[in-house]
Amino acid sequence: MKGSLWPVVLAVAVAGGAVALPALAAAQSRTDQCVTCHASLPESRLAAPVRAFSGDVHQERSFVCVDCHGGDPTSPDRAQAHSTGRGYRGKPAGPQVIATCARCHSDATFMHKFAPSQRVDQAIEYATSVHGKRQAAGDTRVATCVSCHGAHGVRQVRDPRSPAYATNVAGTCGACHSSPDHMKGYTRADGSAIPTTQRAEYERSVHHSALVTQNDMSAPTCNDCHGNHGAAPPGVGSLTTVCGTCHAVFQAKFASSVHGQIFEKACIECHGNHAVTEPSDSLLGTSKASICASCHEDKDDPGFVGATRMRGAVDRLVNEINASSALIDRVRNAGMEVGDQDLALNEARSKLVLARTEVHAFDPEALDKVVSEGTGILGGVNRAGAEALDELAYRRRGLFVSLALILLVVTALGLKIRNLDRMR
Amino acid sequence: MPILDWIDQRLDLADLRRFTAEKSVPVHAQKIWYYLGGVTLFLFAVQVASGILLLLYYRPSASEAYESVQFIVTQVEFGWLVRNVHSWSANLLILAAFAHLFSVYFLKSYRKPRELTWVSGALLLFLMLGFGFSGYLLPWNELAFFATKVGTGIAGAVPVIGPGLMRFLRGGEDVTGATLSRFYALHVAILPAATTALVVLHLLFVQRQGMSVPIKEADRLRAGGRARHMPFFPDYVLRDVLVWYVALAMLAGLAAFYPWELGRKADPFAAVPAGIRPEWYFLAAFHTLKILPSHVLGMEGEQLGVLAFGLAAILLVAVPFLDRRASRDEPSRAFTALGLAALVYLIAFTIIGYLAS
Repeated sequence: MKGSLWPVVLAVAVAGGAVALPALAAAQSRTDQCVTCHASLPESRLAAPVRAFSGDVHQERSFVCVDCHGGDPTSPDRAQAHSTGRGYRGKPAGPQVIATCARCHSDATFMHKFAPSQRVDQAIEYATSVHGKRQAAGDTRVATCVSCHGAHGVRQVRDPRSPAYATNVAGTCGACHSSPDHMKGYTRADGSAIPTTQRAEYERSVHHSALVTQNDMSAPTCNDCHGNHGAAPPGVGSLTTVCGTCHAVFQAKFASSVHGQIFEKACIECHGNHAVTEPSDSLLGTSKASICASCHEDKDDPGFVGATRMRGAVDRLVNEINASSALIDRVRNAGMEVGDQDLALNEARSKLVLARTEVHAFDPEALDKVVSEGTGILGGVNRAGAEALDELAYRRRGLFVSLALILLVVTALGLKIRNLDRMR
Repeated sequence: MPILDWIDQRLDLADLRRFTAEKSVPVHAQKIWYYLGGVTLFLFAVQVASGILLLLYYRPSASEAYESVQFIVTQVEFGWLVRNVHSWSANLLILAAFAHLFSVYFLKSYRKPRELTWVSGALLLFLMLGFGFSGYLLPWNELAFFATKVGTGIAGAVPVIGPGLMRFLRGGEDVTGATLSRFYALHVAILPAATTALVVLHLLFVQRQGMSVPIKEADRLRAGGRARHMPFFPDYVLRDVLVWYVALAMLAGLAAFYPWELGRKADPFAAVPAGIRPEWYFLAAFHTLKILPSHVLGMEGEQLGVLAFGLAAILLVAVPFLDRRASRDEPSRAFTALGLAALVYLIAFTIIGYLAS
């Protein structure tokens, strides 16, 4: 039975193939004629986009060349395929790039089919950016969508291969902003040249270290402060708001402070902008390394007195924490249980964090209050540590008494045994 | 003594007086090893006493065990001493039990007619190891938690019954509060009951048969040599008590100068901390399993290792029945060599295992 069915199956398969293959070929020629021709072109400028498009987020969602470039994808004839009569637009440049991308990305109904939660205001934002404004003024060298996202190898922003992925952003922005040639002629509002050192400075910053070295994806890169599609330098008035996006408590403390009213560049005055380094207590006070001293030089200046007092308070808490930790380590190494003291030390360390935050209110009274809470906790730790050391000494005294008693009994037993042996 | 007369009038202690007057212990060059059994018994008594005191405050649940031990060592008057003594005594007890086992082994004291004394002693050693394994988890600290996870995991490698045995030990698929509950029951009820019964049996055997003498001494006596004895009461008992006092002094010193660390509370969701290792008496076996290749002779290496240890345990119990030469009071050098090899292996692998972890 089985043998007799095989010719029938084979015949059906061949007949089916004969019908299906031309249909498949027709479908391919309808959609891929651009790819077929461009892939075989010797000029890499024209062939490279075909290779790059493979794996592009648009290609994965069945978009094809004509969706951006127009033309007739079914014609193998170059003139016909590139005919403007058939909608051919060629390579979009400048404002055309924005318009081409915006055709889909600014259409909420259309985007809903592919990425329902994605924003559709990128083009509007772009128009408000420095890039967008310059482009509107006729500058063709400013960044457009493809400058940051790529043209034919576009990946989702969450894809680490995307130039817009967080750890790649500094390099992407730096491609233009770190190039003195590219930035030549661009000036700030005051007429001064725009520097090209931002990327190098950022790569020395605590933010870069957190993002790249410690893989903390919440750490900021260029677009977190400048915006992405609406990229612009933060205005003077919005500097604390920009930093406060992450450092909310510092922002609140600073806003209530005397410096909050007079520091034109807010946080940047002390911490810098692109090269924000690891903050330390040495920034505070009136030593040569401190920042306060750069303005408050006179010893009679209330700012000088306040800075000295605040640094003294923070140093006091740091020193007391170190001393208490050393005491508790000593007790722990002696084998005593110090779980409660460890918890209290952690609480005191939290107070130190609060104290360092409180510094941004520039109010020595308020800082003293937080420091006092910390030293109060440490007082309890020190008392417990001292009691533990007393207890340890007591145990050892007790041990020596016990050992003396045991030795006495052992000696008595030894003497008794010797007497017994002599009697036998 | 009036009190003894008072008791004697009511209970008639004549038999007991005669027994204590007549009981004697053989004297020979190897008699020093006799004291190891007594020290083991003394340390067991210390364990029972200190264990009962700990029971007054210990709470056997995952949410309270660690805190209750912390309370014992920090708040309870002399709680630190009781806990440290219990921990140190447990370790000294197992050390003494091993030393007792090897001394009996090398003196061939297991030979006829004392086979059952050996069997009960070997089973007692296993029970002591069970005490150690179950007690290690009770403070519910990080090291003990993960070590128990590894230890019960090894039990899971026993062929055929392994997975079931592991679930039985853990009270589920993983080490949880249910494991703590059953380890507690094992530690304070099941093992003590079994141990008490076996200790009584072991002592009855020793009492009934008297103490063994080494083969050389037996040969000397058979050749007409004069038998030397010392009275059990008071000569031997006084010496025993003296050794116990020395052990007590050691315990006090260790408890005061090297308190047993409590560590951090077990957190099942925490990463496995570095330096996870079992108690020292399981280190040799643990390290052996660790260095075995993943597959040996078509079997999983760990499975083969567990099987080998099981076989070794059976052989240990069966030693008196396997060593036929010793049962005829003849020297059995092969068993002596085997014992020495086992001792060297245990010491070497314990040290290597300690250094490796």
